[in-house]
Amino acid sequence: MAITEAHAGRRYPPCDPYHVSAAKVTEFAAALGDDNPRYRDESPIAPPTFAAVISAQAWDQLFGDPELELSLDRVVHTDQRYTFHRSLRSGDVVIATLVIDRVRIRAGSELVSATVDISDRDAELICTAQATFFHTPEVSA
Amino acid sequence: MKATVVEGVEVGTQLPSLVARFTRERLVRYAGASTDFNPIHYSEHFAKRAGLPDVIAHGMLTMGTALRVVTNWVGDPSRVTSYFVRFTRPVVVPDDADGVEVQFNASVAAIEGSLVTVSIEAICNGQKVLGAARAEVDLGIRVPHRDHEY
Repeated sequence: MAITEAHAGRRYPPCDPYHVSAAKVTEFAAALGDDNPRYRDESPIAPPTFAAVISAQAWDQLFGDPELELSLDRVVHTDQRYTFHRSLRSGDVVIATLVIDRVRIRAGSELVSATVDISDRDAELICTAQATFFHTPEVSA
Repeated sequence: MKATVVEGVEVGTQLPSLVARFTRERLVRYAGASTDFNPIHYSEHFAKRAGLPDVIAHGMLTMGTALRVVTNWVGDPSRVTSYFVRFTRPVVVPDDADGVEVQFNASVAAIEGSLVTVSIEAICNGQKVLGAARAEVDLGIRVPHRDHEY
């Protein structure tokens, strides 16, 4: 079976803890061409969209769920929203948890909205990443 | 903490624009840094198989670069409280030394207390590649209402 509207509400187990390192933050800021000094000082914070590195772990659960039959090479990321309660910073150990918010079927394609909550080890919410994906199922020949 | 921008902030205030150049090298760097190794971002073979004209930039690279306009302006990136973009058009990156230029423009769309909403546009080859892009920043102090006195 493929993904249906009834999959809304499906929640995946928390991902393995992710350790935010100064080296990864620096690498990410450099990839954005961003020389903001806050990304390179003694205790750097991460660029806001560094949250994507962590939510990608949770997306792997979604795209790897055999029941949904989502194939990454037929997925287009259509929109992305972040809500930040505080910055991610080096030394943080964070956990991502994904829930499917909504599934809409349109002309045979699927629009999947999912929220990833990124929390610290005390379950304090740091950031929420909400994404919508457009998935075109494989056309059977 | 001290806000770096307060004076002169009003709806319509333009932020300094930013021009970024996306090359294949930049895409490879972003792939490694973000761990997004979807081959449509480095291989023409896979991009074409996915129905694209050529290799395209990661939407998140465009999104992350666009936010630099805002964080450059406020100084402290931790002031960003929310950020939304719609990916409306792919940024095609040719396999040459120059890559492609993306221009980011932004202006203040709303002010409520210390919360400032910035509207961002991203233009590549004359076309908008992001839709409805908005970031909200908390300047941490109340932005004074500026009455125009004549």
